[in-house]
Amino acid sequence: MFALKRVLLLAVGLASLVSATSSTGNSVLVVVEPKRQDDFSMFFEGLKDQGYELTFRQPKDEKPLIAEYDVAAFAHVVLLASETKNFAKDITPQSLVDLLRLKTNLIIALSTKQTPLSLLAPEFSLILPPPGTPLISYFPKRDEPASLVPITPTKRDATQIISDTSKPIWFSGVPQALGSNPQLVPILHAPAESFASEIDGGSADALVDSAEKGGEGLWAGSQLSVVTGFQTLDGARVTWVGGVDLFSDELAQKVGPDGLKSGNAAFARDIVAWTFQESLVLRIDKVEHHRVNETGPSELYTTNDELVFNAYISKFNPKQGSWEPYSGINDMQLEFTMLDPHIRTALPPVRSVPGKYSVTFRAPDRHGVFKFVVDYKRKGWSHLHSSVTVPIVPPRHDGYPRFLSAAWPYYAGAISTSIAFFLFSALWLAGEVRESAKRPGKAGKAE
Amino acid sequence: MAPKSTPASSETAFNAFNTLWKAYRDGTSDRLKFIDSFLFFLMLSGIVQFAYCILVSNFPYNAFLAGFSSTVGQFVLAASLRSQVNPDNKDEFKDVSPERAFADFALGSIVLHFFVYNFLG
Repeated sequence: MFALKRVLLLAVGLASLVSATSSTGNSVLVVVEPKRQDDFSMFFEGLKDQGYELTFRQPKDEKPLIAEYDVAAFAHVVLLASETKNFAKDITPQSLVDLLRLKTNLIIALSTKQTPLSLLAPEFSLILPPPGTPLISYFPKRDEPASLVPITPTKRDATQIISDTSKPIWFSGVPQALGSNPQLVPILHAPAESFASEIDGGSADALVDSAEKGGEGLWAGSQLSVVTGFQTLDGARVTWVGGVDLFSDELAQKVGPDGLKSGNAAFARDIVAWTFQESLVLRIDKVEHHRVNETGPSELYTTNDELVFNAYISKFNPKQGSWEPYSGINDMQLEFTMLDPHIRTALPPVRSVPGKYSVTFRAPDRHGVFKFVVDYKRKGWSHLHSSVTVPIVPPRHDGYPRFLSAAWPYYAGAISTSIAFFLFSALWLAGEVRESAKRPGKAGKAE
Repeated sequence: MAPKSTPASSETAFNAFNTLWKAYRDGTSDRLKFIDSFLFFLMLSGIVQFAYCILVSNFPYNAFLAGFSSTVGQFVLAASLRSQVNPDNKDEFKDVSPERAFADFALGSIVLHFFVYNFLG
């Protein structure tokens, strides 16, 4: 039964390979309020065109379940129900964290209202302003309300994720202050002149008050993030979007006061590409190690051996839906560790072979159980980790020269002592014979 | 002894040494002299190896230990042979005949050299 399911899944996987875009699967669950579903029709159509299979579910529907018997039912989950306070039983902050453990990717939209999802955000090192305080900016001067902010991506934003940085992205929602978690990937920052405040009651005095409280008191400026990614250690990705309207048809079609078209559609596409494991996805295909001038790996290596370590790395190509050798990493390192890295060296790409990274180094003059460790973690990119254990042994008894010219005086000393001993013994015994032959004559004299 | 000037004292020392040397040459049996010459050779060999170790290299340290300890061990064995065959010590070694003493010496030396060559390479 299980095997049949596997075969079916494989067949489906092969069939969908033609239009596949994600490296982890095409099934998407969209949780959205039915009355708002039509607002995002362009976003959904775009996903379908890319080959994603969308399943819609109302927040209070019991079915379909996001995970059954600890198996995730969908490869990706989009939670657009940002104002819903009561979800069905199986959508809880805890179950969403479990989904990430099952390597399901999430897009979670937040709103200015306090919901179970906004309570989950602090677990991801996102610090939200108090309820009812959206991002507000009075610049540039425009007809739109102050809470609808055009954001043009800058160099500080995740430029490897955002494909088009020229068009403004219209944003309406809640910003996030970022904690110090290194797994955070801030995708889009708030403009420098923006701040989080109540729309009506946000008087200048209230702002000064909150600024004086310091730290938590004020959410303002470009250190705030409005769209933030987070990559778990397992490689699952979750993106927190400060406002669900970012995906709406209205803002996707919007033309700004200066006649510039909105960048929302492309940006939503970029968010999906990153979150659904299309872009910036790497993997280590295989690693090899052997001695210089040998081809196969060895069971064990000797101290001071010259070793070669090769890693083959692929990057996912979402257009082809295939993995391709990738030689673009220039800052990878190899560590040769026994508790501590005894050797840490650059692992540069080999120009002639795409996707191959190679380094030659001398094993330390130290025996023990060592590991070749590649641990490459960069913001936005999937983490690469590989660890291969090899023993390093001292040279065998016949593996190094035993008699050295420097030691000749010692050898000569030992040999001469032996020869002298034999000569001494021989002469001593000969003398005894002679003496005993003479003894009868001498004996009388001595006594 | 009355105080004397330096040349006189050195002369006395020389005289004393001469007397000692003469007494040794005349009063020691040939067998003991033979052992003494063997001991002298071992001492020289040990000094040479130790000087080489200090001045040049102790690099194959096991070789130095083997070579040096072979001279030292052989010296100890020969010295004990000398004290056992010395007729002056007859009272102390009543049970040990000179033949028995030599057999002990030979056996000890063979065992010593066995260890030395094992340790040398």
